Amino acid sequence: MGIQKDRVKFNVGGRIFETTATTLANAGRNSMFGAMFDEDWNLVLDNFNEYFIDRNPDCFAVLLDLLRTGELYVPAKIPEKLLYREALFYGLLDHVRSAKWGQFDGNRLRLSRSVTGQAPGDGTAIRAGPDGGCCVAHGSIVHVYDWMLDEHPPINLDYQRVNDVGWIDSENIVLGACERLGRGDGGMGLFSSSTGELRYKFQVSHENQIKSYTAGALSFSSDYKIFSSCKGRSNEYGIGVWDQVTGKQIDFFYEPLGWSLGDADKLQWLQGSNCLLVATLFPRKDNCYISLLDFREKQMVWTWSDIGAPLTVDEKRVRDAIAMEESNSICVVNEYEDLGFIDLRSTASSIRWSSRSRLMKGKMPDEPCYPKLALHEGQLFSSMNDSISVFCGPDWVLTSRLRRSYGGSICDFSIGGDRLFALHSEENVFDIWETPSAPLL
Amino acid sequence: MSNQKKRNIQIEAFKHKVLGDPKYADKTWKILEHAIHEIYNHNASGLSFEELYRNAYNMVLHKFGEKLYTGLVTTMTSHLKEISKSIEAAQGGPFLEELNRKWNDQNKALQMIRDILMYMDRTYIPSSRKTPVHELGLNLWRDNIIHSNKIQTRLLNTLLELVHRERTGEVIDRGLMRNIIKMLMDLGASIYEEGFEIPFLEVSADFYRVESQEFIECCDCGNYLKKAERRLNEEMDRLGHYLDARSEKKITNVVEKEMIENHMLRLIHMENSGLASMLLDDKYEDLRRMYTLFRRVPDGLQKIREVMTSHIRDTGKQLVTDPERLKDPVEFVQRLLDKKDKYDNIINLAFNNDKTFQNALNSSFECFINLNPRSPEFISLFVDDKLRKGLKGAIEEDVEIILDKVMMLFRYLQEKDVFEKYYKQHLAKRLLSGKTVSDDAERSLIVKLKTECGYQFTSKLEGMFTDMKTSQDTMQVFYASNPELGDGPALTVQVLTTGSWPTQPNVTCNLPAEMSTVCEKFRAYYLGTHTGRRLSWQTNMGTADIKAVFGKGQKHELNVSTYQMCVLMLFNNASRLTYKEIEQATEIPASDLKRCLQSMACVKGKNVLRKDPMSKDIGEDDTLFVNDKFTSKFYKVKIGTVVAQKESEPEKQETRQRVEEDRKPQIEAAIVRIMKSRKQLDHNNIITEVTKQLQSRFLANPTEIKKRIESLIERDFLERDNIDRKLYRYLA
Repeated sequence: MGIQKDRVKFNVGGRIFETTATTLANAGRNSMFGAMFDEDWNLVLDNFNEYFIDRNPDCFAVLLDLLRTGELYVPAKIPEKLLYREALFYGLLDHVRSAKWGQFDGNRLRLSRSVTGQAPGDGTAIRAGPDGGCCVAHGSIVHVYDWMLDEHPPINLDYQRVNDVGWIDSENIVLGACERLGRGDGGMGLFSSSTGELRYKFQVSHENQIKSYTAGALSFSSDYKIFSSCKGRSNEYGIGVWDQVTGKQIDFFYEPLGWSLGDADKLQWLQGSNCLLVATLFPRKDNCYISLLDFREKQMVWTWSDIGAPLTVDEKRVRDAIAMEESNSICVVNEYEDLGFIDLRSTASSIRWSSRSRLMKGKMPDEPCYPKLALHEGQLFSSMNDSISVFCGPDWVLTSRLRRSYGGSICDFSIGGDRLFALHSEENVFDIWETPSAPLL
Repeated sequence: MSNQKKRNIQIEAFKHKVLGDPKYADKTWKILEHAIHEIYNHNASGLSFEELYRNAYNMVLHKFGEKLYTGLVTTMTSHLKEISKSIEAAQGGPFLEELNRKWNDQNKALQMIRDILMYMDRTYIPSSRKTPVHELGLNLWRDNIIHSNKIQTRLLNTLLELVHRERTGEVIDRGLMRNIIKMLMDLGASIYEEGFEIPFLEVSADFYRVESQEFIECCDCGNYLKKAERRLNEEMDRLGHYLDARSEKKITNVVEKEMIENHMLRLIHMENSGLASMLLDDKYEDLRRMYTLFRRVPDGLQKIREVMTSHIRDTGKQLVTDPERLKDPVEFVQRLLDKKDKYDNIINLAFNNDKTFQNALNSSFECFINLNPRSPEFISLFVDDKLRKGLKGAIEEDVEIILDKVMMLFRYLQEKDVFEKYYKQHLAKRLLSGKTVSDDAERSLIVKLKTECGYQFTSKLEGMFTDMKTSQDTMQVFYASNPELGDGPALTVQVLTTGSWPTQPNVTCNLPAEMSTVCEKFRAYYLGTHTGRRLSWQTNMGTADIKAVFGKGQKHELNVSTYQMCVLMLFNNASRLTYKEIEQATEIPASDLKRCLQSMACVKGKNVLRKDPMSKDIGEDDTLFVNDKFTSKFYKVKIGTVVAQKESEPEKQETRQRVEEDRKPQIEAAIVRIMKSRKQLDHNNIITEVTKQLQSRFLANPTEIKKRIESLIERDFLERDNIDRKLYRYLA
């Protein structure tokens, strides 16, 4: 291909654009331009030596710049939605998405948008999708948003109260809900994120009989398993495991006597150690139980509980827990946002509370939300009241704090698709925090 | 400008109509359908990509995705049915070529169709959970072409036929094969497996079953293995050229099973060419081939190992039990070493230095070496021979190599204490007669023994070296303090610590007066400087240099044993002496006396004495006199004693007995050690533990252990349990 041939002239909706085949190649084969310039297609130039495309020229200009520089600048006069539609036509929507915000860094987050939801009542959970969308559980319904924050049909499981929700991939959402006694309703279902239809309902069988159950916390592993804490009416207390591909139940870890698994607040699959972290916490139970389950051996390989621990005046009750495999420890947080650490390598460890100042104490809002923890690429996040703290480094020092004084306390937050979503307990609103793209120089 | 405006308006108007025009979808679809026809007819040059893309986009946008999708399925199916007919029509050879050509066409068409339907592929298909265009195209090809009745079996047979032709030496179009196989793989793993792989493996198994049967009837083992190896390589080559890599394990398994596993035993045991004869003839190439091929099949190496082990054991047993071989201990050991070298080489060159084979070799040696109870003695004799003369002039590394090899044999010995006994004897002889060639070599071997068996094993041997050194110093001081002795016969005394040296029955003889004076002087000196010691003369171990003048005045210096010296000195005062007279005068034990007389009177070239009557053996009634006619080329004459280098039968018995005697305290010590820590133990366990503890020195005999236990019970070290009589208890 000679240099001359590299020049390409377009007539888009009446406006002339000139560019090069090299620039267009940035669109990739899997786009309109990729197909158009494939040698199989004998392109016909019209009388003016140009290719005519019957689309909006303003948007084309923005997208052509995106192909030229890899960055996205949308003039105020162009509605975002219009741009997205045009990008979808050319097959450039993924380019737009990845140019819209930068790679996630907890210390550089900027508030991008706040979205007001529709359902009243307490928010239960918010979960970030893999490509920048999110879903928000309110009572017995889950609202699904794509990365453009367009809302898709909401999902529900027999309109039962939702306990947890999670993304399997950008197309599929799993929802865990309470059972309705005697009706076989509730349990766990797989939904299409784009259409909201129920695609599959997961079942628990106990002694070859199918039982209705309440699905609690969820976790997914990279080898296509789904874990959920389960509560049935007789013996089906424990952790169920399903195959994401077949949808069949493949395992069940029955709750041992004197320990709590079926009521768990949090499950976390640990890839490195091939274990599942299960945490059942106050106030769901009177005591806190944290354990690591090895499903191959059917064993609790590590356990910690505060049974019998004397309650101090501060009443340091663990409110959330997260395992950090790199440092072989579990991080916990109490209601005053004190961080504590438990060593995973010894079985008889106690919590080492960090001596961070307790500024929060005495300034508790009327309706407190319990703190939540998240870990993302070596950064630790902890929510408390209306702000989220970011901790970094081996000693987990506080490096940033995200706050927006509107909507009340943060009841849940989630990181994914290079975005952080924070759900507020009042006003029914959630925030989207993004990292801006890298500076020019 | 106005022109463009017009066009814009036109399209606006068109769009508005869309919603109201029930025929809109049909019209648009017709355009797209036409395009698909053109693409399949290689006539796409007249098509406008932009227009088609836009039309497909509009159909999806206006909710006609379903219609577009069904239309695509119908159109593509009808084209594929036509293609199917044209492939079916191709006869003979061009069949595969036609299939390949059409497959390439289909891929190209599919790509172009997917290009214009890209928007549908991206939006409508995932949300309605339909099959994406590319996959759909493959599925339709599979259903209409590959699964067509008239093509399916024909395709399979053609492919198998080509493989068969290649196996029988013909050249086939591998490129074409590769393309067709690749097509099957592109259509999915199950298509490849069912449509080709499984029948291919079956046919291959049949082929190799027949072929291996032919080979095994007419080839020797080496040739068979060569052919099998070649076949295996051919299959891997084929795999690299046109089969899927996932089939590698499967097809090699077929060849391995049919050509090797099924004939394994027959190959190993093949007469005159099997494993045994390969081992005999050091056929490294064939052995290596057998190893690499058999390694591929279950139990293959184990079979080789078993046969090799029994072969080594059999030949080894022959070697160590052959009475011919027992005549020369040095050669006996040399043969063992050669045998070990031979198998080390085989394992190294042909068996990949496989640890399991090395272990098998070691255990075989251990097994047969101990079949001959004299092995420990012989090995010590071999060392003796090497350290006496063999090492002269040899460079240090060679010495080390030989000693290392000996140590290796030593490791195989079960009765290491017997070796120690002999070694001590032989070392004593070497040291006392000053025959050791290299002090370094001696010490090096001691160090090796020490690392192997521990300090205890060698402490006495080391003591012997110390004695030698001390004696040298003592003699210097003795002569320095008694300068008047310079005129008399020179005496060299080696003071041997009792216990460090092989104990000898304390037989002494009457020394000649000249000698006994000096000896007494030394005794007085020695006991004077070392109080509390006892000194007794071991005359049976000494040597002497004496000067003699014979009939014609010829002078010689004779190197003789102490006993011989005593005898010869008698002839200073008498010309003829009877045997009885000599025996009386010297009091040398009869057997020793006979031996020493024999070596002086009956050995040609060394016969300083003559006897009457002339005969080979010494009789009680013989008379002896000086041989005046004695001549020798040399001034110095060494008169050896006729000694059996190997032990005689009674000596052997004696050594044996001493060994057994020495073992008793060791067994007892082991029992006490074990019981002290265990407090109580039953009979069988105690036997096992004791045997294990003593393994590094000797193989303890269970009956002997039992006797020792009983003796310990008598002496109140242990007691039997009152209820369980098999249980022993330690008494502190």
